[in-house]
Amino acid sequence: MTEQRNYDLGRREFLSRLSKTGIAIAGCGVAAYLLYDPKGPRPGVKAEDLVTLADFSVPQKDGQTISIVQGPDRVKTVDKAIELLGGIERFVKKGETVAIKPNVAFASPPMLGATAHPELVAEVVRLCYKAGAKHVIVTDNPINDPASCFTLSGIGRAVSQAGAKVVLPKDHLFKHTTLAGGKLIKNWPIFFEPFKEIDKLIGIAPLKHHHRAGASMTMKNWYGLLGGRRNVFHQDINTIIAELAIMVKPTLVILDATYVMMTNGPTGGSVSDLKQANTLIASTDCVAADSYGCSLLELTVSDLPYLAKAEKAGAGTTDYQSLKPKLAVIQESQR
Amino acid sequence: MGSNRHRVRQKAGLESVVSICILAILFLIGLGVFVKQSDYDMSRFGIDTASIELSSQQSGLIREKKPDLVSLRPAGFKTLSEAEIYNPENLYEKINGKAPLYLESSFVELFTQRFVNNEDENLWMELFVYDMATTRNAFSVYSVQKRDEVELLPSMQFAYKTSNGLYFVHGKYYVELVGSAESAELLQAMGQVVDKISSTLPADKDAKIDKLALFPEEDLVLGSTKLYLANAFGFGGLTDTFIARYKLGDEIITAFLSKKDSAAEAITVFENYYKFLLDNGGKELPTTNPKIRFVDFYGTLEIVSVAGPFVFGIHEAENPQLAAEVQKRLINKLFESTKTLQND
Repeated sequence: MTEQRNYDLGRREFLSRLSKTGIAIAGCGVAAYLLYDPKGPRPGVKAEDLVTLADFSVPQKDGQTISIVQGPDRVKTVDKAIELLGGIERFVKKGETVAIKPNVAFASPPMLGATAHPELVAEVVRLCYKAGAKHVIVTDNPINDPASCFTLSGIGRAVSQAGAKVVLPKDHLFKHTTLAGGKLIKNWPIFFEPFKEIDKLIGIAPLKHHHRAGASMTMKNWYGLLGGRRNVFHQDINTIIAELAIMVKPTLVILDATYVMMTNGPTGGSVSDLKQANTLIASTDCVAADSYGCSLLELTVSDLPYLAKAEKAGAGTTDYQSLKPKLAVIQESQR
Repeated sequence: MGSNRHRVRQKAGLESVVSICILAILFLIGLGVFVKQSDYDMSRFGIDTASIELSSQQSGLIREKKPDLVSLRPAGFKTLSEAEIYNPENLYEKINGKAPLYLESSFVELFTQRFVNNEDENLWMELFVYDMATTRNAFSVYSVQKRDEVELLPSMQFAYKTSNGLYFVHGKYYVELVGSAESAELLQAMGQVVDKISSTLPADKDAKIDKLALFPEEDLVLGSTKLYLANAFGFGGLTDTFIARYKLGDEIITAFLSKKDSAAEAITVFENYYKFLLDNGGKELPTTNPKIRFVDFYGTLEIVSVAGPFVFGIHEAENPQLAAEVQKRLINKLFESTKTLQND
C-alpha cells in the first residue's frame, strides 16, 4: 500500500517538479529578456589605456591662416601657398619628425582624383626636408587594401623617391581613444602609433564630391585615422566629420582643387567626373579651408552641416573671408 | 472500481501530455539558445573587433567565392591582382561613401578584377561587376551615375564610354571598366572585355524597362533617362521615378513619371509632392484642373499631375511654354500607351 502510494505520489511529484522547473526556466527566460542589455559590457580598454592625439598645431598669425593659389601646376601652387602662410619654416623646424596624411583611400590611379596627387604629396615631403625635418613619414589607413592603394595611386613611389617612409596600417598601430564631449568617438580604435612620436602633422586632401557627406575635403580626410567598423559612422556622417575636426589638430592642411571631382564621389571612376579648377588651398584651419573648398563644388556652407558643427565646437571658422586669405595666381607660362 | 481505474488512466494520459508539452517547450528554449548563440556578433558585446577585423578590412576580400573574371582578360594584358568579392556587409570597404547608393538599390554582390598591360605597367584597368538583382536596379545605378557628354554605345541597350572607361548594364549587372589612363589601347582592350562579358556572363541582356516606353520620343535627349528608386528631387515620397530630358531649341525640359500601385496612392503622392514644393519655397500658380498643379519654384516651373496610377510632370523648367508642350506630349503618350488611363 505504502509502495503504491509512493509510486502514485512519485509520479505526481515528478510532474509537479517538472512543471515547477519549466515555470522556473520560463521565469528565468523572461527575467533575462527584461534584463538584456543589447550593448553588452563595455570594451575591455580601461580609461587609463585610452590614448589622445597630440595637438600639432602652430601658433596662429593674423592674416596667415589661409592661402588660396590658382594655377595648374600643383608643385608651384603648393610652394606658393605655403610661402604665403610664412614659409615651410613656420611649420617644420630642424630635426623634427613630420607625418603627412594624404587621402589614399582607394586603389585608384591619380588621374581620377579620388586620392591625393602623388606629385603634390612628394613636393610637401621635399619641403619638409628642406626645412630640416629629420624624418618624414607618409601614412593612411585606406578603405581598400593599403599596399594596393599606395602603389596604384602612385603615392608610395613618389614619396619614397622624395625620401619619406611609407607606414602601412597594422593591427598593433591602432589604439582606443575617446573624444572628450564626443558623441561618436568613444572608446574607438584609431590609427595612433605613427602619430605618437611625431612633432608635426600635415593633411593633404583632394576636393571631391561625396555621395554621403556632400563633399570630401580636409576634415573628411581624417576619417582615415579611424579603425574598426568605421562605416557605421556613415549613418551620422556630419557628426563624425565634425568630431574628427575636433580630435585632430594638424599643423597644416592642404586642399587640392587643381581638378575637382564634381560628381560620383568619393570614388569617381571617370575623368569626366572632374573639372579643372586650378586652385590649391593651404590653411591652419580645416574648417576655413573646407568652407572655401565647398564653393568650388558649387555648394554653400549650409549644404554641408558638418562645417557648422565643427565651427560651433571651436574647430575653426566657416567665415574664411574674415581670415583675410592670402591670394596668388601662378600663370601657366610660369611653369 | 472500473470508473476509478478509468479516471486513473485518464489522469495518467493527461499527465503524459502535459509532460510532453513541457519537454517540448524546454527543447524549444534550448533550440532557441543554440540558434541565437551561433549568430554571435562580437562587436555587440564590446569585444574589440577592430583588430580582429583589420586584416580582413585591409585585404578587402572575401576569399570563399570567386567568379571567373580572369577569363575576361583581354589580349596583351595579365591580371594585376586577385579577384575580389564584396557583399552588402563590406561593400563600403571598396567604394566607401558610394556604397549607400548601391545598397539602397538592392545590391547583391560586387566582383572586381584588375588587368595590366604586359608591356606598360601604367596601363591598367579595373573591372567592376555589380550584381543588382534586376535589370531595373542595374539601370537605376547606371543612370544615376551616368556622366554627361559621353559617347553612347548603340550596340547595347544602356552603355557609354568616356575617355578612360566603359559603363553598361548587362541584365542584372551594372558593369564598369575604369582605366588608369586616357588611352586608345586601354579602350580597345576594354572592348574585348565587354565582348567576353556579353558572350559568357549569363544575363537577360535584352530585358526591357517598360516604363521608359511611356516617354514620348520626340526631342528626347538620347541616354538622358534615369531611374531614381527613392528620394527623387529630394522628396522622400517620390519613389521609382523615371526622368527624361527633352531638348527643344536651346532649352532642356525635364519630365518625370512614377507609377504607383493604385490610383489612390498616386493621388496621395501627388498631393504630398505638391505640398513638399510649397513647404520648400514654391508658390502656387492658378489652375482649373484638380489633377494638375503648377508651382513657381524659385523662378522655375514645376508641373505635378496625376492620372490613374501615374504621378508625372515637369521639373524645374525655365520656359513655361516649352514645359507645357512637353507635358502635353507626355499626357498623350501616357494615354496612348496605357488602358488604365483611358479608363480613368
